Amino acid sequence: MPDVDLLVVGAGPAGAVAAAQAKRAAPELDVVLLERDRAVGAPVRCAEGVGDAGLREFANPDGAPWVARKISRVIFIAPDDSEVRVAERDVGWILDRTRFDAHLAAEAVAAGAELLVGTEASGMTRTPDGRWHVAVRGLRGASTYRAKVVIGADGVEAMVGRWAGLDTRVPARDMESCAQYVVQGIDFDPDAIYLQFGDAVAPGGYAWIFPKGVGIANVGLGLVALKSDGRNARQYLDAWMDRRYPNGARTGYTVGGVIVHTTVQQTYADGLLVAGDAAHMINPLSGGGIVNAMKAGRLAGCTVAAAIRAGDTSARRLAAYHHAWMELLGQDHVKYYRIKRALESVDDAFFNALARTVNAIPAERRTLGRIFAHALVQHPQLIPVAARFFI
Amino acid sequence: MVDLAVCDRCGLCLPLCPPAAIHLALSDLLVDRQTCTGCRKCVAPCPVGALAMVDA
Repeated sequence: MPDVDLLVVGAGPAGAVAAAQAKRAAPELDVVLLERDRAVGAPVRCAEGVGDAGLREFANPDGAPWVARKISRVIFIAPDDSEVRVAERDVGWILDRTRFDAHLAAEAVAAGAELLVGTEASGMTRTPDGRWHVAVRGLRGASTYRAKVVIGADGVEAMVGRWAGLDTRVPARDMESCAQYVVQGIDFDPDAIYLQFGDAVAPGGYAWIFPKGVGIANVGLGLVALKSDGRNARQYLDAWMDRRYPNGARTGYTVGGVIVHTTVQQTYADGLLVAGDAAHMINPLSGGGIVNAMKAGRLAGCTVAAAIRAGDTSARRLAAYHHAWMELLGQDHVKYYRIKRALESVDDAFFNALARTVNAIPAERRTLGRIFAHALVQHPQLIPVAARFFI
Repeated sequence: MVDLAVCDRCGLCLPLCPPAAIHLALSDLLVDRQTCTGCRKCVAPCPVGALAMVDA
């Protein structure tokens, strides 16, 4: 029975950063990082967009091989297809997640963690000696790991948290069902991301075009199934593609779920933390989660390293992670979630009218703040939400 | 039941299932028919329509 200090389940951004951080903070620890898929970063279940400032806290994107495209503009598309260009600088990047996730995992290995690909956790139990026994199976056969601490960074399915008794269930209205093609040979501004809203396009969510290069993009959408007309996400996407890019070559395809909720009520238990998508740490307004996952991973790694060194891995001690996360981003997500819920009451006519008003502002003065201000003028019922948001 | 020819093993349905009757094991999706209550919460959100209720 392999005996380790820290077992991290899932080698995405949360897990890889957590493993690396724990090892850097306490080099004497035995840290093992498990990845179920045979390659870290594949299959890609992500639109791969990330903000510039958040990314730079963890990796330098300038000239990096794991970057696909720099983004300097956002183009909103109203339900009636009118476009609104928003002037922003250094908006962000479109990553190549197959390379980016592998880069983060390699950093964890460089820090001294052991990475096992093609290996999954299939269950775990707490033993009287205060350790987790985690059943693991994969390329090297089946075995049981004994760990002082387990970090569940196992993504949307979040089974590690459930095994430990945490409530990681999601109400259907807070689950975005997503489908995406990689499309080649299409015409769009390769320095911009496009977001289209509309009940006929993506009810309860939005459709996106995220450039991976000139003429190549991730084209996808996320919707809330409760609001759909009976079609699934793939069928909505096919309809959108047929309308916008009937001649584009669909060279790749992926689906997945994005949890647009607030952080789970409790992200810790005795000898256990959950981080990233598994802890519902996605921005509920944008659906973005990569930087959040890395920030949570960093907090988790630091917390666990200090706890093991101190010989106290109790829930009471590990709760420090939860409080640090809530202060860092979790409280903001509660506010974003309120805005998301308020926006559910606005209709296509609102977005069409907003697009016309905003386009009357000179392009260089069109910032997200001004757009938000115009939205409030047109839709006063959003003002109580905005007040709570800014207070 | 799960149409495994269509299912992409994305895991979206797992947190939607109140009794945790759905499992992703070695990249296969399994529904435990003993635990499934037939609530259908997993059916519509599946991005590819791979989940359906069948009478036992």
